[in-house]
Amino acid sequence: MLEIALQKRFDAFQLDIAFAAHDGIIVLFGPSGSGKSLTLQAVAGTVQPDSGYIGLDGQPVFDHRNGINIAPQQRRVGYVPQNYALFPHLTVMDNIGFGLTRLSRREREQRVTEFVELFGLQDLGRHRPRQLSGGQQQRVALARALAIRPRILLLDEPFAALDVSLRSALRQELMQVQTRSGVMILMVTHDLADVFTLGQQVIVYDNGRIIQQGSRDEVFFRPVNERVAAFVQTGNILPAVVDRIESGTLWLDWQGRRLAAAPLPFESGTPVYLCVRASQILIVRPDRLTARQRENLLDVDVVGQDMHAETYTLYLRLPDSDAAHDLELVLPGYVYHRLELENAKSLTVELRRQDLHVIHRQDTAASTS
Amino acid sequence: MLLIPVLLMAGFLVLPLLAIFLRILPQEGIWTTLQQPLVTEALQLSLVTSLSSLGLTALLGTPVAYVLARYRFRGIGVLDTLVDMPTVLPPTVAGVALLMTFGRQGLLGQWLDTIGLQISFTTVAVVLAQSFVSAPFYIRAAQAGFQSVDGELERVAYTLGYSPLRTFLRVTVPLAFPALLSGGVMAWARALGEFGATIMFAGNLMGRTQTMPLAIYIAMESDLAAALVLSALLIIVPFGGLFLVRALLRRRNVVAYA
Repeated sequence: MLEIALQKRFDAFQLDIAFAAHDGIIVLFGPSGSGKSLTLQAVAGTVQPDSGYIGLDGQPVFDHRNGINIAPQQRRVGYVPQNYALFPHLTVMDNIGFGLTRLSRREREQRVTEFVELFGLQDLGRHRPRQLSGGQQQRVALARALAIRPRILLLDEPFAALDVSLRSALRQELMQVQTRSGVMILMVTHDLADVFTLGQQVIVYDNGRIIQQGSRDEVFFRPVNERVAAFVQTGNILPAVVDRIESGTLWLDWQGRRLAAAPLPFESGTPVYLCVRASQILIVRPDRLTARQRENLLDVDVVGQDMHAETYTLYLRLPDSDAAHDLELVLPGYVYHRLELENAKSLTVELRRQDLHVIHRQDTAASTS
Repeated sequence: MLLIPVLLMAGFLVLPLLAIFLRILPQEGIWTTLQQPLVTEALQLSLVTSLSSLGLTALLGTPVAYVLARYRFRGIGVLDTLVDMPTVLPPTVAGVALLMTFGRQGLLGQWLDTIGLQISFTTVAVVLAQSFVSAPFYIRAAQAGFQSVDGELERVAYTLGYSPLRTFLRVTVPLAFPALLSGGVMAWARALGEFGATIMFAGNLMGRTQTMPLAIYIAMESDLAAALVLSALLIIVPFGGLFLVRALLRRRNVVAYA
């Protein structure tokens, strides 16, 4: 278990955060310089907060009010920095055994062997870090950190130093490590793919503060404000205005269209953002227009297309709009080909009400042209 | 166009050294000159004092270099400038300054005198003079060496249970070792050649404070052959040390970090 509430000032930067987590993988997500790594170092004990509390498994490792500040040497945390910080003058085995000096020689050798095998490093034991690939270096760093049986594993951008092609395989590995060892992982990233794969609990940082925390689905599909919506690449963050609330429906005005959303306690005239992930917009085939109860149908022109490996992005514009595009739609390649969209000029799309996420809009500028 | 100044400069640097050897080699009795007390005493004293001052510099200079490499605090600029001071100070002035500090009437000297300690005009004064002028060479090299060691390595060692001192000895020093060693050799060579501060602060007493450069100065008036042999030694010894350390570092690099 991890409990944090801390404040730390660095020149003009102010970190002020609080969260708690029980187990699994906790992802600190947000732009560079938002205080994520600083939080990690505070848990490791290599940075001392100005005030606050940090507890591991119910025991304080830092408690400003009671004058507690356990040294990093005694915290039993596994810290893996972004570049892995393997000791270049030591072999793989000596790196893994580095933190085991309190064990007897025999116990130490056993523990090193155990972790060498656990991470499949048998053939590399006598190699030096420079002779290893990025993925192998990461394994050694994880083995070194886990060998001391830490109470928490702290990972700073664990995949940033690796080829994109390697990352997904190593994310799976990390998941397995977590399941097998049961160690709680606190991980810093600004890569959305890490959040998708690993984020059992996601904490969104922005400029030294936490702006949202929750499950991965909450953060992805129900961002609390447009900052989070942008961080998680919502795709469509549409400025709209609340028209009125009817029994069971929140009616919105977006670009002169009336859209129905799930009811929320908004007053008429409230400026809002309408968030729809690009993968949630449905294309409605003309022959299926009346297949079931449809709502929020929009006729749009296709103004651009992009292909990314397995998916296609379509840029859509309302016929009476003068924007470059109004909507972004992502769909899998096989759907794209089955619908024969290569030469599509115009489409009908549906925004299902359960996929519309409505949030307050701070600025009061007019939403429609 | 570039060739002429390059050749002129190269000649200007090499010819004087060559001249010493060209003058010595045809002479007979180099061996007897080498065995003269003036030469042997100076050689012995120079080796002892220069190695002692290297030890003193390493002992006190290493923490200073580490602080300069790792910490940022108010006043660090002052410390940084102080380290450069002996380099820009004329050695004679340094000698006078040391005398005003450690001499019998000096700032600390008069106090040391009351407890029966006299430093000026002793071998200890030679070591202090050499340390004063050679320390910056070691400190700057060590500082660069420590700066090249990633601070994350130290932080990881802390989380693995290593105290700052053990981390320093097991991680930082081994990784900065090439820089420490070459800085040490530079400082040692500078100490070996120290003249101005020594003669001001320690005097010119054979067997006690008369190091090789001082012996050369004396011998120039009476015994040119001895002066030449000592000069040749002062060229060969530091060069040999430098060469040896460079060769050692190249081999160590290949073995340790391949």
